[in-house]
Amino acid sequence: MKYVIAQSAEEALKALKDAEGRGTIIAGGTDVMVELHEGERTAEVLVDITKAADLRGIRIDGKEIVIGSAATLSEIASDPIVRQYYPSLCKGTGSVGSLQIRNTGTLVGNIVTAQPAADGAMSVAPLNPVIVVRTFDGEKRLKISDMYVGFGKTALDTSKELVTEIRIPVPEKDEKASFVRLELRKSLSLPMLNAAAMVKYSENKVVWARITMGPVGVGPTRAAAAEEWLKGKELTEENMAEAGRLALKDANPRSNPLRGSREYREHSLPIIIRRVLEDIKAQF
Amino acid sequence: MEKLNVTVNGKFMSVDVDPELCLADFLRDRLFLTGTKIGCGKGECGACTVIMDGKAVTSCIIPVMRAEGSVIETIEGVSDGDKLHPIQEEFINKGAIQCGFCTPGMIMSSKALLDRNNDPTADEVKEALGGNICRCTGYVKIEEAVMSAAERMRNGETSK
Ligand code: FES
Ligand code: FES
Repeated sequence: MKYVIAQSAEEALKALKDAEGRGTIIAGGTDVMVELHEGERTAEVLVDITKAADLRGIRIDGKEIVIGSAATLSEIASDPIVRQYYPSLCKGTGSVGSLQIRNTGTLVGNIVTAQPAADGAMSVAPLNPVIVVRTFDGEKRLKISDMYVGFGKTALDTSKELVTEIRIPVPEKDEKASFVRLELRKSLSLPMLNAAAMVKYSENKVVWARITMGPVGVGPTRAAAAEEWLKGKELTEENMAEAGRLALKDANPRSNPLRGSREYREHSLPIIIRRVLEDIKAQF
Repeated sequence: MEKLNVTVNGKFMSVDVDPELCLADFLRDRLFLTGTKIGCGKGECGACTVIMDGKAVTSCIIPVMRAEGSVIETIEGVSDGDKLHPIQEEFINKGAIQCGFCTPGMIMSSKALLDRNNDPTADEVKEALGGNICRCTGYVKIEEAVMSAAERMRNGETSK
């Protein structure tokens, strides 16, 4: 096996090209390393992007927050820009794995591994992020919903494509977000359920709401029926509870021996959705 | 084989390594620093925690080449010869060790925290140690040990 330490996005893409399909991008590597060791994945060339200066860091660019694909979950969770605009994203990224995992793992990795209840991916999903991907012959911009093609399956071909950054619009004053997880334990455990939302709330009316939840489908799943129903409504106790019930229309949870049966998850999901909305209401 | 330049416990070295190794295997099998333990090998127990460029990481899932140019500290580098670090002494004093398998990882996670913040809250200690699993002590004594080590470090004590 060959290990290439790319100093830039350009170098990373060149290394992928040279590997002719037998290479893969590795950022934190917290999942890739385990898969390689367990034989679930093979790669002849690992292209490490953690030292690529143009893929690191978090900055504001015009009206967008730009998070580099090599920025670690710890860096995001403690970043002053992220904390100022999206405390919920700090909470989500700060909930992944353990401190050691967050010190190496990345938010982009948390999306690309495509686990339906990944806390980092869930917390960023309702913020309308744009995922910037570079390929050998150009660039494409994907929505979060474009990133998932199945359970644990990403739309990205990491032997040919490189996520360079995530761009998140800076929120307006009347837009707030939140993230909630129902957990067995805080560290080193996927949640039983998690959910996130962003709401534009003006004159005590919901202008729009984006609600995502997991693991109830492929990737963070939109609660479309609840979102639609909330439009024009006030965030009262009854309305938030009703939105929670409506979320079940778009949810198809599986039973998991460790993290709850389908029945348990269906029972709890409306409560989690209500909590996510209550947390948003409390911010206005 | 690839060339790796790394500083481990204050010693710079330039060595040829198999890039397929994880950092924990390199430390244990090449440098014989077997104080770093491997429990799960998947980043889920914290036994293999070392400090890399000031941050606690689980060395079982760090590709060895990631350590290029970095500064690594393992449990062997914490004491000054026979003079133990206050964190090590407080783990002993408080009875925070039983079988001891988790202890090197616990101490490295604690040190990464206290080197940066020697006046942590209980929540900060729990966050720092959340990725370290102990099957013996029940954690209370470990938290007490970190707190009293913090106090000694605030008074300027180190191992060196
Ligand atoms: S051995 Fe590395 S985390 Fe368990
Ligand atoms: S002392 Fe035995 S695992 Fe912690």
